[in-house]
Amino acid sequence: MAALAAVALVVLGTLLIGVRGVAALRTTSDFLVASRRVSPLLNSAAVSGEYLSAASFLGVAGLFVKDGVGALWYPVGFTAGYVAMLVLVAAPMRRTGALTVPDFAEARLASPALRRITAVVVLVIGGLYAVPQFSAAGQVLAAVTTWPYWAGVVIAGAAVSVTLALGGMRAATYVQAFQFGLKLLLFIVPAVWLVAQAGPEVRTAALHPVEFTRFAADTPVSFQTDAVLLVDEPTPVHRPDGTADVLTSGRHAVAAGTVLVFPEGAAVPETGGGPPPGGDDWARPLLDPNDTGHPVLGTWAVLIATALGTMGLPHVLMRFHTSPDGRAARRTAAITVALLGVFYLFPGVYGALGRVLVPELYLSGATDTVVVALPSRVDPGWGGTVMTSLLTMGAFAAFLATSLGLLLVMSGAIAHDLLPGGLRGLRITVVPVAAVTVLLALQAAAIDAGTLVTWGFTVAASTFCPLLVLGIWWPRLTTAGAITGVLTGLLASCGAIAVALFGPPVDGVWGLLVTRPAPWSVPLAFAATAAVSLCGRPAPWSRAALLRLHLDEDTRARGTGRRPG
Amino acid sequence: MTRVRRVAVSSPQTRLAHARGRARGRWRVPALDPGDAERAAALYRRQRAIGLPVLLALAGLLLGLPLVFTAWPALDTVRLLGVPVSWLLLAVLPYPAMALLAFAQLRAAERAERRR
Repeated sequence: MAALAAVALVVLGTLLIGVRGVAALRTTSDFLVASRRVSPLLNSAAVSGEYLSAASFLGVAGLFVKDGVGALWYPVGFTAGYVAMLVLVAAPMRRTGALTVPDFAEARLASPALRRITAVVVLVIGGLYAVPQFSAAGQVLAAVTTWPYWAGVVIAGAAVSVTLALGGMRAATYVQAFQFGLKLLLFIVPAVWLVAQAGPEVRTAALHPVEFTRFAADTPVSFQTDAVLLVDEPTPVHRPDGTADVLTSGRHAVAAGTVLVFPEGAAVPETGGGPPPGGDDWARPLLDPNDTGHPVLGTWAVLIATALGTMGLPHVLMRFHTSPDGRAARRTAAITVALLGVFYLFPGVYGALGRVLVPELYLSGATDTVVVALPSRVDPGWGGTVMTSLLTMGAFAAFLATSLGLLLVMSGAIAHDLLPGGLRGLRITVVPVAAVTVLLALQAAAIDAGTLVTWGFTVAASTFCPLLVLGIWWPRLTTAGAITGVLTGLLASCGAIAVALFGPPVDGVWGLLVTRPAPWSVPLAFAATAAVSLCGRPAPWSRAALLRLHLDEDTRARGTGRRPG
Repeated sequence: MTRVRRVAVSSPQTRLAHARGRARGRWRVPALDPGDAERAAALYRRQRAIGLPVLLALAGLLLGLPLVFTAWPALDTVRLLGVPVSWLLLAVLPYPAMALLAFAQLRAAERAERRR
């Protein structure tokens, strides 16, 4: 109940700040970028607030329990993305005066066709990124209350669309900055409390992983989604209503909604989704969850996707336009690296403790809830309840912050780039976009937040990264080259994801390259862009269009008489 | 009684934003006057020279660390304050390193734009 009150508080707070911004809401430009009058520090807090999604708040610790210590490579890549952004795109992108990537495409290459294609890519990336946010919100609510999964998802969708339709981005800038502070606090305080409260035995166990093969105590496992258990030896279980049962050796399908209590000392079944947590491979700081035998390549694949994908995330890019000029945008990126670095010191704490205290979450596939499940394990009394409420609040704040930005950018792509529209169109579009995202999230409960988000990064790295980097740094880029590159990257990354989701299982190094296509899809997109560009001729004004992006603002204000922003 | 026609009064910024919505497709050739073009070209080359080493350092750090873990598995068993050194290298080291890299790049990039 306390956790519910905490969620209500976050939603209400977000709404209030949203409504307060309504008075200032005037034009499409206002709605989208809060009139570009935000200081670098406030803006980087907002960038971090937007960026620290449910995948960061919950997903990294969950992947840590499931896949092992190597999961900490994800936040390293997430942070590295801002270094790449700082060097390559922050200032020049701001100087285009474009609001979104589709705007950039038109400003740099004057191609309406490319504008439409990039708007579609925005929808793909936004969808891959928003769906896991909604599904994590639903899972958290299901974990801390008795509500079903779908109720949480629907409530989350309603809260986000109302806030956006009322307040837009001006609200969102304050909301995001406020939420970054909130999330940082709500993540660090419980982490410190958990470490202090857990006691020396648990702390030592957290640092000396052993494979999870036997249940250490009578353990109830609650299945929110359909699952498969592979049982090696006959295992007695009972249900909460008291009926006893024996799982015979072999494969068992468990329906959603089932609760099974495993007795102390029973053998832990496998799930077919990788080895149980705590083994030797688990403790290695490399990423090879499916045991393909190529841990270095697996790690690099995640790093390439996350570090290069960040600069292509449409909701983050748009956030840089709230800086008054290129210099402020660059400062925003640099401060963001430092802010994220503080936050990402902590997911590992939750993961390491979670492996000791709640390893059974790996059976039900609910590892995304490890963060909120921990406090009550450490302290069943009121202390645990308070900490669970704080963490639920933080997780909801993380979810709200990211989905606000994502829905805004997706409705922007539809209302602004694909259809002719103004403020009215933009406001109305928010609702159907939220509805579709909720419907998709209801289907996607079984896929890890981290996996879906990484796919979003992969698509961004394979499409917008080549477009932005070559558009800003290579005068010879042609429109045909850019279109070819974006389409190649989109087809390659989405094709690989489709095969991974619906195709036959692929083993070994090929399986790795299908589930994590970034190491080949990103170079392929760059190569396609460059090859087609070299065959054609850039427009005569191409060089001026590129140099304009590197000219600092003072000169421009004097030279062309246009105010920067 | 004369009917007064109501006119929307808005700031220049608002008008600009509205105009942007309507004028889609009407796109002007970007032009720089010669002085600006020269400065822009110099800045472009300078920023490229500043940025490349930073990117290489970043790639070296990120792609090199997994190789270090593979080459020296013993880092998993050596412990500092009870924590395996390889865990510390992954969970802690990259963040201050990347923050330093970012601020060094920021300083260099801003210095390049300073006017004499």
